[in-house]
Amino acid sequence: MIQFKNVSKIYENGTKALSNINISIGRGEFVFLVGASGAGKSTAIKLILKEIEPSKGTIIVDRKDITKLRKKEIPYYRRNIGVVFQDFRLLPDKTIYENVAFAMEIVEAREKDIKKRVPSILAMVGLEDNANSYPHQLSGGEQQRATLARAMVNNPSILVADEPTGNLDPDTAIDIMRIINMINHRGTTVIMATHASEIVNAMKKRVITFKKGVVIRDQEKGGYINEA
Amino acid sequence: MKLRTYKNFFRESIRNIFRNRVMSFASVVAIMSALFILGLVLILAFNLEHIAGGLESKVEITAFLHTSVGSAQSRAVIDQVEKLDGVHEVEFISKEQGLAEWKENLGEKGVLLEGYEGKTNPLPDKLILRIEKPEYVGSIIPSINAIPEVDKVNYSREVVDTIGKVVRIARLVGLLLMLSLMIVAMVIINNTIKINVYSRRREITIMKYIGATDSYIRWPYIIEGFTLGIIAAFFAGVLVIGGYNLLLSRGGQLGGSYGFLSLFQLLPIEGLIYDIVLAFLLVGCGVGVIASILSTGKHLKA
Repeated sequence: MIQFKNVSKIYENGTKALSNINISIGRGEFVFLVGASGAGKSTAIKLILKEIEPSKGTIIVDRKDITKLRKKEIPYYRRNIGVVFQDFRLLPDKTIYENVAFAMEIVEAREKDIKKRVPSILAMVGLEDNANSYPHQLSGGEQQRATLARAMVNNPSILVADEPTGNLDPDTAIDIMRIINMINHRGTTVIMATHASEIVNAMKKRVITFKKGVVIRDQEKGGYINEA
Repeated sequence: MKLRTYKNFFRESIRNIFRNRVMSFASVVAIMSALFILGLVLILAFNLEHIAGGLESKVEITAFLHTSVGSAQSRAVIDQVEKLDGVHEVEFISKEQGLAEWKENLGEKGVLLEGYEGKTNPLPDKLILRIEKPEYVGSIIPSINAIPEVDKVNYSREVVDTIGKVVRIARLVGLLLMLSLMIVAMVIINNTIKINVYSRRREITIMKYIGATDSYIRWPYIIEGFTLGIIAAFFAGVLVIGGYNLLLSRGGQLGGSYGFLSLFQLLPIEGLIYDIVLAFLLVGCGVGVIASILSTGKHLKA
């Protein structure tokens, strides 16, 4: 599903974020990217989202070399990836329903389909009663569930989550992880960058550990190693 | 893109204007002010042009025909002169008319001229040529002199030169004012829209993450820039045209009591209104749209 082949990234200011990374993630996998701040996991996420370009190497997503995508193709590529961030990034002037519906309007879905799909995805994340609330009226956990609904509303094959529990208390974090796990069980490939060792250890999923821009460990049913 | 998508764009733009009402209001006021000042300058420039045109039409050349020239020949001369480049109008004053005018000018002493009617009339026929632009005088004079029936040509070189100079300066000043204010207005409108878009750059980033195409992100901003431009142009138009009308109604009285001011009479509003409205719409909406495209582009690139 996702392959990094000899990928290096050196930022314009000279920072070596990744050096010669090789990763292969299969369809339907659940993978944690862990490591200290600056270890390279966020860079890897940005590369997958095609927010930045690698300095060297190729990245294959869904059998396509995304480093060769033309600028015009990027939006269409991104529609196949649901994204969740630590800071939620909901549109503050739209209700939860509108925020989720917006992702469908962008792909020019029919209104009939939007009216059917949005309530059902809101129900999936447990926000059916908050459809008409604005983001600022919701708790952090609820906002993150809304972003999960938005990320999944178009049925992407990949979900990328960058520290999705970073702003949440432990109980809420578990809630969110339950939803992400459910999404994964329905067949979506999940890539999640995180610092949360308890979550990583509890989930028993594949863990790729970064340190200073290189992968130091790649383990099935792995755990969080603190020395990283 | 599909029709319903454009419907969404309109909905989004109108909602955005209301949601960001403080920003929208500030934008309209800023654009309106820029257009208002532009309008004042346009009126000034148009009036300068009007005065210049009025001055130009004051340029006259008088051609006296030989006294021996008959009326049929005079006709032929008029035809010939009318065809010359730059001749706006030819007025023929026959010797009889000339004598009558002279008599009238003399008033009581007009009796002195009695007995000069008919064959004894010493005056020649004359042609008064009104010239389109002072620049033409140089080429017209030799052409008239070359006509055998013409005896003498009269014109005031100094008057012609001065008028030419004044008109050129007036036009240049008008044009420069207009251009510079046009640029100022464009800069102000561009900056206003830029700030408007900047305040919502986060929204643009989010839209990009969920896979919106650049044009999808742009359209609502373009419609918004256009709408704000139209609203501002409307109010600026009402202010400028209303204000000018007021000035005209006051200024009319002034011109009436001082006859010599008639030379500097202000242009009637009908002559201005379409140009001003057109300029406002072009500058207001045009720049609104272009600025929206440019400033969203900046945030789309990142």
